Amino acid sequence: MKILVVDDDNALREMVGIVLDNAGYQSVFCPDGAQAMVVFEEENPDLVLLDVMLPGEDGVSVCKKIRAVSGIPIIMLTARGETEDVVNGLEAGADDYIVKPFQPNELTARVKARLRPISGSETSVITVGPLVLDVQGHEVKRGEQVISLTPLEFKLLYTLASKPNLVFSREMLLDQVWEYDYKADTRLVNVHVQRLRAKVEDDPDNPKIVTTVRGIGYRAGSG
Amino acid sequence: MTVLLSAIATFTLGGFMSYTLADGLYESRLETALEDTSSAVNTVNRTLSGAAVSDETTLQTLLNSLVPTLEEAGSRKVALLRSPGQPQLQLLQSPVSADLDFQLIPDELRDAVRQGGNQLSYQAVELSSDQSTSPGLIVGAPVDVPLAGQFELYLVFDFFESQLTLDYVQQVLTIGGLILLAIIGVVSYFVTRRLVKPVLKAVEVSEEFAKGDLDRRVSEKGEDAVSTLARSLNRMARSLQQQIDQLDQLSKMQQRFVSDVSHELRTPMTTIKLAGEVIFAKRDDLDPSLRRSAELLHDQISRFEQLLADLLEISRYDAKAVTPDIESADLNGIVGRAIASIEPLAMNKETEIQIDIPSGSVDVELDPNRIERLLRNLLANAVEHGLGKPVRISVATDGHASAVTVSDQGDGMDQEQMDRVFDRFWRADPARQRSVGGTGLGLAIAMEDALLHNGWLEVASEKNKGTTFRLTLPVKTGYRLTDSPLPMQSTEELA
Repeated sequence: MKILVVDDDNALREMVGIVLDNAGYQSVFCPDGAQAMVVFEEENPDLVLLDVMLPGEDGVSVCKKIRAVSGIPIIMLTARGETEDVVNGLEAGADDYIVKPFQPNELTARVKARLRPISGSETSVITVGPLVLDVQGHEVKRGEQVISLTPLEFKLLYTLASKPNLVFSREMLLDQVWEYDYKADTRLVNVHVQRLRAKVEDDPDNPKIVTTVRGIGYRAGSG
Repeated sequence: MTVLLSAIATFTLGGFMSYTLADGLYESRLETALEDTSSAVNTVNRTLSGAAVSDETTLQTLLNSLVPTLEEAGSRKVALLRSPGQPQLQLLQSPVSADLDFQLIPDELRDAVRQGGNQLSYQAVELSSDQSTSPGLIVGAPVDVPLAGQFELYLVFDFFESQLTLDYVQQVLTIGGLILLAIIGVVSYFVTRRLVKPVLKAVEVSEEFAKGDLDRRVSEKGEDAVSTLARSLNRMARSLQQQIDQLDQLSKMQQRFVSDVSHELRTPMTTIKLAGEVIFAKRDDLDPSLRRSAELLHDQISRFEQLLADLLEISRYDAKAVTPDIESADLNGIVGRAIASIEPLAMNKETEIQIDIPSGSVDVELDPNRIERLLRNLLANAVEHGLGKPVRISVATDGHASAVTVSDQGDGMDQEQMDRVFDRFWRADPARQRSVGGTGLGLAIAMEDALLHNGWLEVASEKNKGTTFRLTLPVKTGYRLTDSPLPMQSTEELA
């Protein structure tokens, strides 16, 4: 598995590389926001670690550009308390974020979670409303039309659709989709549910497939 | 005020004038009355001695005819009374002016006349007629009447006209006084307005200054003292504004500096932390001194990281860049989480944590992360300073406010230490060996967090007895705290 690390600090870049190497990943580097897309297309990585504050072009903008051409997992590296950066990054399409300074095992846990394939699915096809999910093929179809989802969005939809009778709280989704086993940022769930709805719903303002259960969380279908 | 003082002055003057006039008038009338009476006595004496009186009837006629000659229409009446206790000529009448009631003549005056020899005696009386009363004077003198013995001649003077004059004068004085007063009032109103208005304006503007609006200015027209005052006020405001701007800028620069430093430290901090962890994870492969170094490095990096986080937090408070994420949460649950996170430290210190919380949930509108951090801080402090004796945490609510107290039975503090306990980087005993990697900012941040919630964070402590911290929070964010549902537990109650 190849991971692209985009960060302007040489020491941190190298150190992140060492941590990833120890965890068994191959890392490639880019120190500059403006160069990030070039390196991305050359290396075709499986995951991108992206610093928010970058020279040349900032991380949020780079994130948008990568999202425009690829659904691969993107994890932002951000400074604590910079709430706006976090929300901007998530809305630009980042799957997750890590707050600096972080622990090595925190970093590898986040990376692992994003690269893990969907596991333990007995059924290969699930339907939810007008949608058909091909679990093995990671494909969603509305009739004959294929809807392009990122792996995270697919996992989110799959998790909800596999238990259509269950209402998932945000914490449950953080645990099952993002693999956080401690209290994490519920904005992750909110932002990605919005992104998913934008892709799969006829009218995202009046959702039929991923519905909100007030005060509790989300469920697949309107029950 | 001016008008009131003028009124007092005018009425005092008026009163004095009117009194003096009345007095003078009375004195002059008295003098006339006395002279008139003397001449009347002379006339009577002359008439009596010049007439040949042989019998009672002629005497009576003579006496009767005397009275009208002495009268003066309207202003003077006459009574010729016979002194009582005279043996001769019992039937002789005492002639009196037609419309005079001789009862009016007081007995004291009659006594005085009888005993006064040839002296004149007089007394002021009040004369009443049908419509009105007026001041009067009765002057009396003894008269010897041949054959009949002693008589008393009384002249009753009516000062009705003098009273009229006096009344008129007083009326004029009163009206004049009132007009004068009105004039004084109007004049002083305009004069004060002219003088006082700029002063009032200056006062108003200086109030605005005091409230913090230093952009206001006083009009500086003119060359008098008031305009000098205005100029000084304006100058003061300008120089204050300058100083404030300067301080503001300095403070902003300083906050900016702290924030920048913390920010810039973060990236190397991340690298150092990653490196430290990688080395720490492999410490078992190292020889003992390297291994110990790796452990120390690891611990101190954590401490350093916490310090950095606290510094950044404080700088955010200083920059007023903190907004709480308020939600309705169960205070009991937050207390539970704080206790759970402090458990390892408590175990390490062999400290028991006693819990006294109400059953059910205690819902409070607060930022759960900040309040949990605050309570964790208080608990860590209590465990660290508790000398291994039990630490007690209590929760109570009264529907308006909720409170948490954290009490230890440790070293305690004196007043001076208590005053400084929330200061940044302050330590109760600098020489004390520290076991937890406190940053010295914990309680300062705790105080900021409490204030952010419009709450109270208070401390009570007694040397060698222990310390209690009490956090009081309004149940709803809009409430104003008036008191706390928990007392500042005295440390003796702990056992």
